[in-house]
Amino acid sequence: MAHLRAGQKKEIDVEDDASEPSDPNTKLYEELGELARFIDTTMKTLSEFSTPVSNSTEQLPQAVTHLTNLKAMTEQGTHEVMRQVEAMQDNHQKMAKVLAHLSHALQKSECDPQLTAQLSTIGDTIRDDDKRLVDIMTALSFQDLVAQSVNKLVTILDEVEHKLLQLVVVFGPYQKQAAKSTQDKASEMLRQLEATKSTSMNQDLADEILKQFGFN
Amino acid sequence: MPADPNMKILVVDDMSTMRRIVKNILKQLGFNNLEEAENGQDALTKLKADNYGFVVSDWNMPVMMGIDMLRAIRADDQLKKIPVLMVTAEAQKENLIEAVQAGVSNYIVKPFTAETMQEKISKIFK
Repeated sequence: MAHLRAGQKKEIDVEDDASEPSDPNTKLYEELGELARFIDTTMKTLSEFSTPVSNSTEQLPQAVTHLTNLKAMTEQGTHEVMRQVEAMQDNHQKMAKVLAHLSHALQKSECDPQLTAQLSTIGDTIRDDDKRLVDIMTALSFQDLVAQSVNKLVTILDEVEHKLLQLVVVFGPYQKQAAKSTQDKASEMLRQLEATKSTSMNQDLADEILKQFGFN
Repeated sequence: MPADPNMKILVVDDMSTMRRIVKNILKQLGFNNLEEAENGQDALTKLKADNYGFVVSDWNMPVMMGIDMLRAIRADDQLKKIPVLMVTAEAQKENLIEAVQAGVSNYIVKPFTAETMQEKISKIFK
């Protein structure tokens, strides 16, 4: 009976809510109930996320492997192009020596000057191509920049994987142990990647700054 | 004083492709006495063991960064006069200023051309 009376009293309080301030205990009880429902819903929502998060977490090491392979492949490809370029440079050196001997011999034998001129033209062409070969070599430095960006991305992915694992372990049925202690390298790597995009300087700007320090 | 084509040059970079590129350019410029190191620590060991006339170094390397190697070179009585050219992807102004303050001889931003390297070497050894 007492319980019923208390319930009736509560209903009356709720009805009177608009006109009069309610009993502080009842209001607290309602707010706690609301909070409990909110926590319950949040836990359910997070648990629903745990499967896709768990799947994504399991895929992250594959992403790291793909990135590492990408770096290795660009390195191998770059070395192969370099090997071919160096072989051509060696051949050019040999050709230049032969041309110099031929030119000298033709001059001594007092042959048609046009022949010597043609040999000289061939020599000029080889020198032009030598310059192009050096340009190809230097253009291959892109691989170093790719490798550095890949290294930064791998660090970021490692960090993200670790944080996702922590989420899954806390809110889901995921059993795999979270590996490694947390290191806050990812934000630093992201900062570096962003900084490269926004504030990196070219050689002209670097030279301007060097001039201010007395480099001429 | 123009650069001596026979001087021993140490190329320091953790990436094998970059070491090969820098060595190739130096060869085309007439330098044939070239050695390699994979990081700053490796470089310091080699520099102390032999007579080098010039160092071309990356910045970002494992074990010991290029900037730390530069500071160690400038702090060593035996090595402090060796010119050090930094060739690096660290393209922030702060990096360049830090390198200048540490005693770098000149600074190249990647990606670079052979002409830039030739120009910087000429300035260092003029």
